[in-house]
Amino acid sequence: MGGQACVFYGAAQFSKDIDFLIVADESNSAQLHTALDELAAERIAVPSFDLAALARGHAVHFRCHAKGVEGLRVDVMAHARGLADFNALWSRRASIEDDEGNHYELLSVPDLVNAKKTQREKDWPMISALVETHYRENSHGPNPDQIEFWFREARVPERLITLASDYPVQASVLSQQRPLLTLAIAQDIEALRLALDTERQAEQALDRAYWEPLRKELEEFRKAERQG
Amino acid sequence: MTYEQMPEEWQEWINLTPMQRFEQSEIIFANYLAQGGTLDPDPDPTSPFDNAQTSGAGPAYGRPGLRVLRRGAV
Repeated sequence: MGGQACVFYGAAQFSKDIDFLIVADESNSAQLHTALDELAAERIAVPSFDLAALARGHAVHFRCHAKGVEGLRVDVMAHARGLADFNALWSRRASIEDDEGNHYELLSVPDLVNAKKTQREKDWPMISALVETHYRENSHGPNPDQIEFWFREARVPERLITLASDYPVQASVLSQQRPLLTLAIAQDIEALRLALDTERQAEQALDRAYWEPLRKELEEFRKAERQG
Repeated sequence: MTYEQMPEEWQEWINLTPMQRFEQSEIIFANYLAQGGTLDPDPDPTSPFDNAQTSGAGPAYGRPGLRVLRRGAV
């Protein structure tokens, strides 16, 4: 769901770890443990593998020791801020198959964009690149959902202005939901740049607020682990 | 930046298919490891996961065996 998905979608060239979004239930947990055993995965940070913690939004961090994947980091999570439940995400996923028949199940681009709306500075250029690549690949004869996705998520002022010019009706309608689109319609690029910064900062503040209780809980987990 | 504003290297990357990107990424990843790149995440103070437990303590500029002999001017 993370950097590796960004590689497939063209927004990154490589990622040092693999993030998995899973269903946090008992039967799936058993399968995941089997897979982690195959990878000789060792948990390297709090929290421990606990379904309740996963359901609250924590991630569990592993390092693999099996031959061929020595040192590889694997993060497992079941929930992320702003994302729909697993079944909805699964129904919208992209599936890719390689020549050897291996399947790769990826978050859809819109869901990945939502997952990347975090407090981390490095995620925001990724969102721009994801949307821009999606636009590049679909701009010849897009469907209404794709046009709406670009209006909702594009973060490059020049692209928003082009979109507002190409699809003025949708720009006007969607400006009710994303007011900065009025600046794209007016082609006020500097004001648009500032509004995009403000929008990003507001989203980062929401993510920090979301993580505040989880951070405290992580501190408690660390304290408990230190005390054995 | 828009596709048109991107450096040629990035445009070439975007023009690949998803599977071609994945295959190329494997090559880049192998080169990264061959040069001593670490698999620890880079320290990121803006991340809620940033922690000595999960972040690499190694130098961000290269493999652990490398050291800076001379720093450039600011």
